[in-house]
Amino acid sequence: MSLLGIAWRNIKQRAFTSGLTALSMSLGVALVVATLITGGVVKQAFESGAGLGYNMIIGAKGSPLQLVLNSVYLISKPIENISWATYTEFLPARERPDEQDGTWAASTHTAVPICMGDYFRGHRVVGTNSTYFDRLTRGNGQPFEFSSGTNFHDEDLYSAVLGSQVALTLNLQVGDKIAPTHGADDGKVHDPFQITGILARTDTPIDRGVFVNMEGFYLQDGHAKPIDSSENTEQTGPTNNDSPGKGLLPYNQREVTAILLETAALPGLPAELTAMGLRNAINEGRDAQAALPIAEIRVLLDLFVTPLELLLLLVTTLVVIVSAIGILVSMVGSSLERSRDVAIMRALGARRSVVLATVLIEAILLAVGGGIIGLLLGHGTVGLIGPWIATNAGVTAGFLSYTTAELLLVPFLIALAILAALLPAVAAYRTDVARWLG
Amino acid sequence: MKQTHSNTQSPVEKSAVLELNGVKKSFSVPGGDPLLILDIPFFQITAGDLVALEGQSGSGKSTLLNVVSGIMRPDSGQVLIGGLNIVKLAEPQRDRLRADRIGLVFQQFNLLPGFTALENVLVSMSFGSQVSSKERAESLLEAVGLADRFHHKPAAMSIGQQQRVAVARALANRPRVLLADEPTASIDPSHQQQVIDLLQTTCREEEVALLVVTHAPEVAEQFPVRHRLEDFNRAAAVHSTTNGVY
Repeated sequence: MSLLGIAWRNIKQRAFTSGLTALSMSLGVALVVATLITGGVVKQAFESGAGLGYNMIIGAKGSPLQLVLNSVYLISKPIENISWATYTEFLPARERPDEQDGTWAASTHTAVPICMGDYFRGHRVVGTNSTYFDRLTRGNGQPFEFSSGTNFHDEDLYSAVLGSQVALTLNLQVGDKIAPTHGADDGKVHDPFQITGILARTDTPIDRGVFVNMEGFYLQDGHAKPIDSSENTEQTGPTNNDSPGKGLLPYNQREVTAILLETAALPGLPAELTAMGLRNAINEGRDAQAALPIAEIRVLLDLFVTPLELLLLLVTTLVVIVSAIGILVSMVGSSLERSRDVAIMRALGARRSVVLATVLIEAILLAVGGGIIGLLLGHGTVGLIGPWIATNAGVTAGFLSYTTAELLLVPFLIALAILAALLPAVAAYRTDVARWLG
Repeated sequence: MKQTHSNTQSPVEKSAVLELNGVKKSFSVPGGDPLLILDIPFFQITAGDLVALEGQSGSGKSTLLNVVSGIMRPDSGQVLIGGLNIVKLAEPQRDRLRADRIGLVFQQFNLLPGFTALENVLVSMSFGSQVSSKERAESLLEAVGLADRFHHKPAAMSIGQQQRVAVARALANRPRVLLADEPTASIDPSHQQQVIDLLQTTCREEEVALLVVTHAPEVAEQFPVRHRLEDFNRAAAVHSTTNGVY
């Protein structure tokens, strides 16, 4: 009979206490696993938002982090708007009424305006134009795909595109109409927009977004910028009469919340330097600020996510250590019973090293068993809360989601169990055979 | 100093499987001089002997068995098992020798409670030099009349059945000598004879020397070779009135 067999029978003999010990360890492991995975997917959620086909965001002066949270992640408190004129400074001559390049047009590859402030049943509504889905990407340079329908046309004022999560949770389909509310879910109800397309899943915050045609968005109550007489005279000037078309909101009454910008490389300059130069120039001005999403996300991760993750990991590690102490307590608690068994084995010819190894193997078996059950429980928990994570973080986490840190978990547990079992193992090693069998 | 009370066999024709020469063992007593428990100038058992060793409580029976089995090391003297002086061996070697050459049957049987009858025999095999053989374990259990109890744990067996498992376990590694410490003391009188018969029969079949330590004259008188510990343990003679168990 192998040492493993002997250790396994010892565990079976003390099935109740062994079971409780393994259970306590498995709960600790489950907590660690669930924390690691959810921490990982939250991080992934933030990092995945950083590769959506733009490298800069222009918005109102204020917190660049809040600008990124609003524009990229569709979360956080709403921010102020910037003027339409600021937006047009990024447009080339062919897209401007005055047919002259905007101030920053040469440094701009793509500029996509977004307008925010409305909601649809808990989801952020984003007013934009068709370039959002034509020019930007769903991450890693991949173009957007529609699971059904198509992108909206700019001339269809009341058309909308839904993120996959929105369509799924609200059970909406192409052709359905949605009526956003102003400012909050219980705000004034706006005109309905018809869904023209539903995006395929992107595993980004876009899955949680409701995208409507910006031209229709502008026509809703409370979306036109109020104009007083002095402002009208000073700021709108020659563009005041340049209405984009009959029934549309005049330019001088328009604002945008942010501009998603993909910068272009100026001749003779690397793209990075162009972006840095553009950012500095905009930030030195009074009208807007430029934020680099990746830099802000890095700040966010360093400031909040990583410390929080470390804190959770610390707490859960303590839980595992407590579980390991449970192994120690369980083994010390059964040491009287064990001493007699050890004495019997020693009398039968088992060497001290053999009984020591048997106790250590027993602890390792408990750790491995508890660890495996804990892994299953942890993944099961993530599987259960996966839909909630998907709804709130826009990232899918399921039973099969994993982190590489998990690979270290079982070896760590084994080391911990060996450490915890050393005391009873040494006690077994020192067992006085004559005393116990006398 | 070999005493035979009831047999006529000649020891010179057989080799000694167990021999003690000048063995002394004492224990320290708090606040006092060391207490001498064993003082044995010479003692010998030859192959195939079935020996009963009588001794009163406190005469050093348990200490003698611990010294003979290598669990305890004497203060001086030689303990030869098959000609090998185990006193000179390091503890791991004594453990291995005990597993290979000595079978032990205890008064309380000392079966491992979490193991079945078969596993109790197999676990003993795993400490010896030979490869564990399930067939041998099963045949030993069959020999002691437990063919239908292979997978029963001690708690599910009667006292007599447990003692039979203990006998099968003691013989698992084909020992040279089987040491039995009061093997009938925990058994009701109606089953005592069965245990004595079992020990003698199986030891004869396995050609194992048997040393049964007992305080009961009715047990000792059933063995062809019978000794009194007080007769060859000088220390026992001195402490014969002590009630402690040594």
